[in-house]
Amino acid sequence: MTKLLKDMTVGAFSLLKGLAVTMKYCLRHSVTMQYPTQKMPMAERYRGLVDLIPEKCITCYQCVKTCPTACLAITHKEVDKKKTLDTFKYNMELCCFCGLCAQVCPTSAIIMNKIYEISVYDRKKFDIDLLNREKYAQWANPTVK
Amino acid sequence: MVTILTFIFMLAMGALILGFIAVSAMFLIWWERKVSAHIQSRLGPMRVGWHGALQSVADVLKLLLKEDIRPAEVDILVWWLAPFFAVVPSVMAFVVIPFGGNLIIKDLNVGILYIASISSVCVIGIFMAGWGSNNKYSLLGGMRSAAQMISYELPLILSLIMVAMRAGSLSMQRIVESQAGCWNILHPDMAVACIIYLIAATAEVNRAPFDIPEAESELVAGFHTEYSGMKFAMFFLGEYTNLFIVAAIAATLFFGGWHGPFLPPVVWFLIKTYGLIFVWMWVRWTFPRVRVDQLMEFAWKILTPAALVNLAIVGWILLK
Amino acid sequence: MYTEEFLINMGPQHPSTHGVLSLELKLDGEMIRDCAIHIGYLHRSMEKIAENRTYTQFIPFTDRLDYMASMNNNLAYVMAVEKLMRMDVPARAKYIRVIVAELNRIASHLLAIGTFAQDLGAFGTPLLYCLREREKIMDIFNEICGNRLTYNYIRIGGVQYDLPEGIDLKIGEFIKYMRPKVDDYDQLLTYNTIFLARSKHIGTISKEMAISYSLTGPNLRGSGVKWDLRKDEPYLVYDKFDFDIPVGANGDAWDRYKVRVEEMRQSLRIIEQAIGGLPEGEALSKAGRIHKPAPGEAYFRAENPRGELGFYLVSDGSAYPYRLKIRSPSFSNLAILPELVRGLKVADIICVLGSLDIVMGEIDR
Repeated sequence: MTKLLKDMTVGAFSLLKGLAVTMKYCLRHSVTMQYPTQKMPMAERYRGLVDLIPEKCITCYQCVKTCPTACLAITHKEVDKKKTLDTFKYNMELCCFCGLCAQVCPTSAIIMNKIYEISVYDRKKFDIDLLNREKYAQWANPTVK
Repeated sequence: MVTILTFIFMLAMGALILGFIAVSAMFLIWWERKVSAHIQSRLGPMRVGWHGALQSVADVLKLLLKEDIRPAEVDILVWWLAPFFAVVPSVMAFVVIPFGGNLIIKDLNVGILYIASISSVCVIGIFMAGWGSNNKYSLLGGMRSAAQMISYELPLILSLIMVAMRAGSLSMQRIVESQAGCWNILHPDMAVACIIYLIAATAEVNRAPFDIPEAESELVAGFHTEYSGMKFAMFFLGEYTNLFIVAAIAATLFFGGWHGPFLPPVVWFLIKTYGLIFVWMWVRWTFPRVRVDQLMEFAWKILTPAALVNLAIVGWILLK
Repeated sequence: MYTEEFLINMGPQHPSTHGVLSLELKLDGEMIRDCAIHIGYLHRSMEKIAENRTYTQFIPFTDRLDYMASMNNNLAYVMAVEKLMRMDVPARAKYIRVIVAELNRIASHLLAIGTFAQDLGAFGTPLLYCLREREKIMDIFNEICGNRLTYNYIRIGGVQYDLPEGIDLKIGEFIKYMRPKVDDYDQLLTYNTIFLARSKHIGTISKEMAISYSLTGPNLRGSGVKWDLRKDEPYLVYDKFDFDIPVGANGDAWDRYKVRVEEMRQSLRIIEQAIGGLPEGEALSKAGRIHKPAPGEAYFRAENPRGELGFYLVSDGSAYPYRLKIRSPSFSNLAILPELVRGLKVADIICVLGSLDIVMGEIDR
């Protein structure tokens, strides 16, 4: 009988202690942000979409070989025995944002930018050519369809 | 002449109560979302109106516009009447709630008995919903919920009896007036009765940690699955109305009703009621859920004997 | 009274989200008579993919095995490759690997605790507190490697980049922030009488049963067996740190939960010692880009938050592995479920499943 009463008092006290924890957080500030009016700034090394600085590219094809999901495709053209970049196709659907292409590029021509709001209404929009800068710029403004 | 006047009076009071219930339920839905959000370190509804104040209005409009789906094989009369049986008794209990000094619709001299008997009809509503849905999970959920509510009525009514014994009357206004000098909860035997009442009332209104019918979506879908649109809204409304009723009764019986300095009595009554509702919400968002057999064990083996012992103690103190 | 058993499918999607798992329960009223498990809804044929990818290219795939503990998966795979190639790693890289692995252990256990409380009905509050703490860890990882869930940070021969400036201050702040929070969970959940009533004496696993079903991780330690690969077969620099191995007494769901909470405290101790003793040096040894190990085989196992993750690699001398086999802890842990649930009520199966802490990504691969 006394054990039952002791168990009940200990149990009731544990419930009250739990309530104290919840009240402590009820009275504190919230930790959330009101997205999309407030957005969290991404870190410096954040891996968003793949981006290209075309002048630095030497068409060594290392990024194409190292991508685990084969989402990059390059073609080059020879002009006076010098290779220049013709098209640089990037399929955003297949990209897994691993950053291996940026790590392996010898001239740091591929970088990962900070764009993470990449939803579209039409699947064909995922295939882009990184040399076509104005089409790529639409991703910086996610409200553009 | 007299009968027409009373008839108009009845209609006016009915409209007033329904209006109050509607506003109160919408406020409580918003309040619940805000309290749960702040407990969880987040903000809750913020966009619709100032800090989301109009969110309930948006939700009610949405529910009104939803399609009312009726499954083909339901037992039509039972299924259709169930929401009414769940909501109407709670609304009827408003007749004897003392909002202020003279603000009571009809001070029946069997006030507490009336409330206890009316709230038992809610169980029938849930049972009808479970049976009429023609769904074995709804039936299981409905039966479980009915068992829970019936088991916890015994400690509930015992604690009501204790208050009636001390006040010497079943009428709600007499009970409030008997607490004029000192609230009931300040007496130790009444404090125990208050705790028993609060626990039993939590189980009666199906709130956590006793919310098995509501949230047993692990396997059993609950008695209100086959309801959509306005019928579901009625169950929902019934739940918040029930919550208000049990809080109002607790405030009246244990916390002094509308007594209090400076402010008008109505304001004190509402402060006490909504304060108790805050405690209920605080408890809901803290504790895990109790299992069904543990629930029944708790009711029959711990709460009812405790209530009986306390009843004996109250009687002994009064006879002294 | 005539009653019959009926079959219920707790289908691939259910609210106690441990992924897509299908349980076929044979119920007799409220009591469970038998349970059959159906997996394979998340099978992505990772082991076959590995045969067509180079060793470095497969590292992003290991992230997606047990997506709650990506760093630990990366670590186990990379150390298996390094064992195959007999390659050594600079000391600074070893310390960094320990730090990120232990941080990920804390993140994974936070989620395990949060979802366990959610399954029992504490409808949101413990889970949201745990997610709030996880956000801080994910912010640290965001600064270190650039991603929040699938890190792809550990490379063959070290780690991808060195730690950025100021990260040790941030990690120190996180440790100071986290310690009182673990005490909060103890106060809110662990000794709560309703929580105790729901999880004590449920799903008890004895020592012999745990060993015979080859359970690993907190499930094994909850049953009283003191076996942890970090102490018994130390890898990286775990033998230099001072930490305890928490062990449970009875082997029920509550013990497994308590072991996870205590492991979080011990991980905080390890991180503190590692940050304090971080040596100078480079973070990635210069071993070339294409790895062509000599023909042979290697098996390496690491202590993941869920148990023992093992990678078995067979190489035939080319840049692609000949065969990769993954021994995932959740696959072996799940096998004990039918044994445990016979005779329990329906509400308890959720509790047992939550306490085993499985992730379907690992089971189906």
